[in-house]
Amino acid sequence: MARDSKTPTSKSGTTAVSLSVNGVDRKLVVGQHESIADVLRDRLDLRGTKIGCNSGECGACTVLLDGVAVCSCVTLAATVSESSVVTVEGLAREGELQELQQAFMEHGAFQCGFCTSGMLMSAYALLSQQRKPSDEAIRTALQGNICRCTGYVQILNAVRDAAARS
Amino acid sequence: MNASPPMYDVVGKRLNRLDGAGKVTGAAVYASDFSLPGMLHGRILRSPHPHAKIMRLDATAARKLPGVRAIVTGASQKLNRFGNFIKDFEVFATDRVYHIGQAIAGVAADSEYAAEQALKAIEVEYEPLPAVFDAIDALAQDAALVHPEWQNLKAAPIINRDGNRCGRTVIKFGDVEQGFRDSYRVYEHVFRTSPVHAGYTEPRVAVAQWSGPDQATVWCNAPLLFDTQSALAEIFGLPASHIRVVVPGIGGGFGGKLRLGMEHYAMALARAAKRPVRVMSTSEEELTAALFRQPATIELKTGVDREGRIVAKKGRIVVDSGACSGSGPLVASTATMILAGPYRIPNAEIEGVAVYTNNHPNGSVRAPSGPMPNFATESQMDMIAEDLGLDPLEIRMRNILREGDIAVNGQKMTSVGLAECLEKAAACIDWSQRKPEQSRGKGLACGWWMTSRGSSGAYLKLMQDGTLTMMVGVVEMGTGALTGAAQVVAEEMGMQLFDINVVSADSLTTPYDFGSQGSRTMFAVANASREAARDLLTKMRTRAAKALGADEGALEMREKAFWNGEKKITFAELAAQANAAVGGLIAEATYIAPAVEHGAARVQNHFSPSWPSPSFHVHATDVSVDEVLGEVTINRYVVAQDVGYAINPTYLEGQLEGGAVQGVGQALFEEIIMVNGQVQNGNLTDYKMPTSMDVPPIEVILVTHPSVAGPYGAKGVGEPPSIQPPAAVANAVAAACGKRIMQLPITAEKILMD
Ligand code: FES
Ligand code: FES
Repeated sequence: MARDSKTPTSKSGTTAVSLSVNGVDRKLVVGQHESIADVLRDRLDLRGTKIGCNSGECGACTVLLDGVAVCSCVTLAATVSESSVVTVEGLAREGELQELQQAFMEHGAFQCGFCTSGMLMSAYALLSQQRKPSDEAIRTALQGNICRCTGYVQILNAVRDAAARS
Repeated sequence: MNASPPMYDVVGKRLNRLDGAGKVTGAAVYASDFSLPGMLHGRILRSPHPHAKIMRLDATAARKLPGVRAIVTGASQKLNRFGNFIKDFEVFATDRVYHIGQAIAGVAADSEYAAEQALKAIEVEYEPLPAVFDAIDALAQDAALVHPEWQNLKAAPIINRDGNRCGRTVIKFGDVEQGFRDSYRVYEHVFRTSPVHAGYTEPRVAVAQWSGPDQATVWCNAPLLFDTQSALAEIFGLPASHIRVVVPGIGGGFGGKLRLGMEHYAMALARAAKRPVRVMSTSEEELTAALFRQPATIELKTGVDREGRIVAKKGRIVVDSGACSGSGPLVASTATMILAGPYRIPNAEIEGVAVYTNNHPNGSVRAPSGPMPNFATESQMDMIAEDLGLDPLEIRMRNILREGDIAVNGQKMTSVGLAECLEKAAACIDWSQRKPEQSRGKGLACGWWMTSRGSSGAYLKLMQDGTLTMMVGVVEMGTGALTGAAQVVAEEMGMQLFDINVVSADSLTTPYDFGSQGSRTMFAVANASREAARDLLTKMRTRAAKALGADEGALEMREKAFWNGEKKITFAELAAQANAAVGGLIAEATYIAPAVEHGAARVQNHFSPSWPSPSFHVHATDVSVDEVLGEVTINRYVVAQDVGYAINPTYLEGQLEGGAVQGVGQALFEEIIMVNGQVQNGNLTDYKMPTSMDVPPIEVILVTHPSVAGPYGAKGVGEPPSIQPPAAVANAVAAACGKRIMQLPITAEKILMD
């Protein structure tokens, strides 16, 4: 069962963590079983990060952890103190959308949008590492993010285009 | 052929969708993001037995656990049975379970963790009963009955049932037996398909809150507001208006959320706990206790003349509804049309049968009746062509419906873009090189679908800033349907797309709507809203003429103002004036697609005997098969669809690409593996859906034979692209390696099997 993997046998034990979330320092006391996704959504009210499978299989919950795209639903908050977390809410600066977000809009790279936060974060992680990624690199970077709506075609186009624009 | 379309300012343009910004910034609120103060978390205890008597159910220990606030069982709350066509669903089992995953009890607790612990502490004893898992077996005279009391279950009059059979539809005309005798050759085959998941990314979720003993609100991700509302009203024995259904946002549906998901559980638990309760299905529940696409067995017998023209066609599709009828009877019924196919057929006898088994109940998945019978019909078409030495394209060209032809349901076909789809898809895939090299081949499949009927309403009001608010009772599933409808309204009103504010998906405030299903959302909502916009414009023009002291006929409308020569009054000024004087400028309209004539004598117990604004589609693909590993690589994939008119080409392409990839998943690997009613692959690693690595290059061709009823000629588009992929891929695989696969999915094992 999905949730069992994170459910502690004992509920005792809390950990004080400090995290930088979208550039803001946060100090929290978290339970052993709390994932980054739980902390973001339930403690910090940042619900742009979505929970789909809650078991590391769909990518909806992808955030950047120290610059690396991870599934926040299976990463325990207690284990990542002193890290920086960037979520979809942290992409736009002062209301200005990133090229990537703009490209997603223009290419119709989402429909229901439920995969979009995670998809954007995976793509953003890739583009921060490779200015001009190959097609293969784009596909590989997004392979952990399931999108049922788009068939990926317009997502791939959007990422290619965002790379070309930057 | 198509005349070149007139130019418009807003429709036909690739404009960014209205809900785009919220979705790329994380601001969009989905049902699973919704919460209330004091909200509890609910979990459901489910049956581990496919068929058993409940001997004892004891929740005493569970009630005492920390954080547990309420436990509901079949005995603790009187809840009515429900079901769209037959009342064969129970919210919580009362004395018997008839499928694995059936709800037995619900727990509401302070946390999901506490609720989960309580589930484990509920004691249940069962006595297993004989069960049946195969739909064909279930039809046998001596099969164990899934519902021994079936005659006591209330059913819609259209349902033709008997024991385990929970629906039967027939299309019959001419004389098939004589047709077979007159045929040059007769072909008989059996095809099978497996259950698949709709694959929406947001699990089904509901938050319920009672505001009194007989008033409740449910925030959920249900595409059908009003259907959900009446189902809940029926279960709880309340007037429908006492239940408010709101959809804050939805992460995909593809039909899989059409029937009740978590709403009834959340309501029952919230009533017992006297607190708001949220119930969200877990990933495991999604894959083991969701409403899948029915698996089907399709028997098909076709007689043709020497030229490959169809003389007679006899077929039967049997769909496994699971333990409750769900969408099964409707799926089996509509499947008769797909099994016949978009062909000229002089003699036919086609039967669609829905059957109870002790498998999990199934539901509706994008084009619910589509891929299974299409796989059979289009595969067999290729098999016939091969036997007769005909080109698969040619045999279709000889048989397809064309303008003015009579289809199997007796309907006269108009606006038929099928030949054009075939020609364009074939040209695009370079059909003349059908087997370009060893182990590589091309295949195609054609199909048709309807734009479902069902009514829509729209309320419009002119806002003080000169923009327009449009209120509609559908849910934006992500298809862009509401952006499309808003483009139509903006075009009518001489506004820009972003001048239209859309309010939707609240059963209390928005007008009735048949809901987001059946490829009809944009079609019907745009038609209703356009009608309302015309009415509103008339009112605005009258007031403008008065204000400007001019004849209505002399007014010119541009730049969101009415002009009389140099003098003008803006929409904003008109709204302000009307707000002060007469309660504002508002309008409303409703729409339902006109009924289409069909041959009533040809059909029995048919749910959709006539097909309003039918759409036509052809998929063609080029695949390579690794003959050692059995692996299929899709080199190219072409979708040609007669969409009538493209209101927003970007989102249309998105539908066609997304639908095709979903269909490719069903073609090649998606399969809920069920053994004795138990799902074997209940996680997303073992139930594989297409990822970015699996997507072939897709080319989309929009063919536009306008529908008379459609807004600007548009036809329904959302479901059809999922229909043809299994057949197109199967035909390409056969062309590539000579192996004909008769059962989905087309796995390496099947390709390598002798
Ligand atoms: S929600 Fe984290 S991977 Fe699916
Ligand atoms: S946009 Fe719906 S899942 Fe990707």
